[in-house]
Amino acid sequence: MTLSRRSMLKAGVAAAALPLLGSRAFAQTEPLKVGFMLIGTVNDNGWNFGHATGAKYMKDQLGDLVAEPTIVENVPEGPDCERVLRELAQSGHKLIFATSFGYGDYVIKVAQQFPDVRFEHATGYQRSDNVGTYNARFYEGRAVCGTIAGHLSQTGKAGYIGSFPIPEVVMGVNAFVLAARKINPEFTITPVYISTWNDPAKEADAARAMIDQGIDIIAQHTDGPAALQVAEERGIVGGFGQGADMSAFAPNAQLTSIIDNWGPHYASAAQAVIDGTWVSQDVWPGIKEGEVEIGAYGPKVTEEVKAAAEAVKNGQADGSLHIFTGPINDHTGTERVAAGVTLTDAELLSMDWYVEGVIPPA
Amino acid sequence: MMQFRLEKRREPSKAMLYGTPIVAVLLTMIVGAILFSLIGFDGVGAVREIFITPFTNTYKWQDLGVKAAPLIIIGVGLSIAYRANVWNIGAEGQYVVGGLAATGVALATYQMTGWWILPLMILAGMAGGALYGAIPALLRTRLGVNEILTSLMLTYVSVQAIYYLVRAPWKDPMGMGFPQTRRFAADALLPNILPGTIVHAGVPIAIIVALVAWFVMSRSVFGYQMRVVGAAPHAARYGGFSENRTIWLAFLVSGALAGLAGALEVSGPFQRMVPGFPTNYGFTAIIVAFLGRLDPLGVIFGGLVIAVTFVGGEIAQTSIGLSNSATGVFQAMMLFFLLAGDLLVRYRIRRVTPQAEARA
Repeated sequence: MTLSRRSMLKAGVAAAALPLLGSRAFAQTEPLKVGFMLIGTVNDNGWNFGHATGAKYMKDQLGDLVAEPTIVENVPEGPDCERVLRELAQSGHKLIFATSFGYGDYVIKVAQQFPDVRFEHATGYQRSDNVGTYNARFYEGRAVCGTIAGHLSQTGKAGYIGSFPIPEVVMGVNAFVLAARKINPEFTITPVYISTWNDPAKEADAARAMIDQGIDIIAQHTDGPAALQVAEERGIVGGFGQGADMSAFAPNAQLTSIIDNWGPHYASAAQAVIDGTWVSQDVWPGIKEGEVEIGAYGPKVTEEVKAAAEAVKNGQADGSLHIFTGPINDHTGTERVAAGVTLTDAELLSMDWYVEGVIPPA
Repeated sequence: MMQFRLEKRREPSKAMLYGTPIVAVLLTMIVGAILFSLIGFDGVGAVREIFITPFTNTYKWQDLGVKAAPLIIIGVGLSIAYRANVWNIGAEGQYVVGGLAATGVALATYQMTGWWILPLMILAGMAGGALYGAIPALLRTRLGVNEILTSLMLTYVSVQAIYYLVRAPWKDPMGMGFPQTRRFAADALLPNILPGTIVHAGVPIAIIVALVAWFVMSRSVFGYQMRVVGAAPHAARYGGFSENRTIWLAFLVSGALAGLAGALEVSGPFQRMVPGFPTNYGFTAIIVAFLGRLDPLGVIFGGLVIAVTFVGGEIAQTSIGLSNSATGVFQAMMLFFLLAGDLLVRYRIRRVTPQAEARA
């Protein structure tokens, strides 16, 4: 079985080398099996839902070239994920997407044992010959949310529920408050880290605690709509959907949402594997490429605020605005980025400091 | 109206006592197949993927061993404590502290090499687990505080300790800010015993632990003391066995074994301390201990059965798209049938004429 698959793959690669025959001959004999490993469940209405939607988009786009995508849910970031990765590779999946940061070590480890399987790790930083990384510029979406928050917040205080203080999350907190302070220079944000990507009870508790302390805007970098539901219940100004539109859970409180549109990337990566052109790379598209989308605006967002938000969105799409352009001070007031200078991608991806306006967690 | 009453059997049948876990597993498979067929899944396929495929695929044997090892080690310790009626519910916390103690040694010796590093980590892990288990023992024997509550709640304290340590003093300088320690140096890693597989030294250690525990429990004075204090506290007191001493021993032994599992897990599969280190092995091992009839050799069986449901549950997800929650349903069903079976083995159901109603 394995042997025949291997020879099949060789035949496929050979076919791809012949431009006239192309890869379709190979693909028709055996559709590409694509696996997805998720940290939560596809019905979390957020991060994992976004990846599952992307998987479906890939299938719709490529049709019979790919098999029905295999999705493994609730895989913890630890040795358990190593087993799942091996299980997927052994059962003939030739392209595997690992969609949580903490899978990194294990993806690299398993990829060494399966050189003919391609792995892609979302939001990671470790690559090898058959491991690529991909991410989306969520901070661009956060800048749009921050702009809305700066306009609508009455207390000028926001809370931010994060998982871990990794660059990916820190960057989002910073982008949010940088944008908000362009509107309201007194705006502050308090991040809280709950050490998990998905725990609705903890997310809701953190939201309640921060609302009690006087915030009226809540943003989160965790997977589900729990914080937004609390915002709706408590009647504060509102919050933002993360990963997907969450207005069903908070019709009044959701001001807008950052929608992760992974589908095009999944379709192109699968196509590249089918064509034999896949190479390990690091891709980081954003609003311009359509991988990060801004959802519909909520009822509390006035026309004027909507226009301001759209301006920030369009500015980032056409490249005229980069939220991490100086002057930027850190939270102690020391200048970190000089006027006119923009942080490089490398600097962003290792960001471990807060900008002015962030009240760092103790 | 008919009424039923549970009546204690004088002498529960030995064969039935050991037969119930097997019956529970079989019933789970049958009812599971029916249940999942009724809700529109391939029920038989689900049962096959979860319970049979892990055994037919040699790759999966490795997974079973690796997953079962910590469950068996912790389960053996718990079976000893529970035999003595000492309810250590906090094995998860002792497992975590054992892992942390081993991590401490690994990080302190990061620049060093030597064969002694790994044994020292394992000893530190056992000592850490035992010390953490000593807290509920002390509170129980000195102040009479219920050990179920203290041991359980100390688990949450230990998890916070991980979060603190990996965020500040032990944070990996190369980890891009992710709260985790650095990857351990080569001499601090648990070796694989079979080249080309993932089977690490923890697997044979688990079997040895179970065998030693079985021998000690059935052949030594210590084992006799634990069993007598659990089964007949009054007789034990007449026999000169101290209740406090038993509580201490139960916590130290089960804590040390949970700590051992923690040290083996962090040096083997994890290779570094991460916030995701607590994976509920300490809680799952409670099911394992009962599935194994609180008998160290039975615990090997219990550990394997639970490992099968985990590993098989993942296979069912990739091969037939069965949701992850199905694994939980199967585990819960197994425990339910086991407990129900136990009840019927120890008690018989008697029909009684309701006298109160007759009078009214």
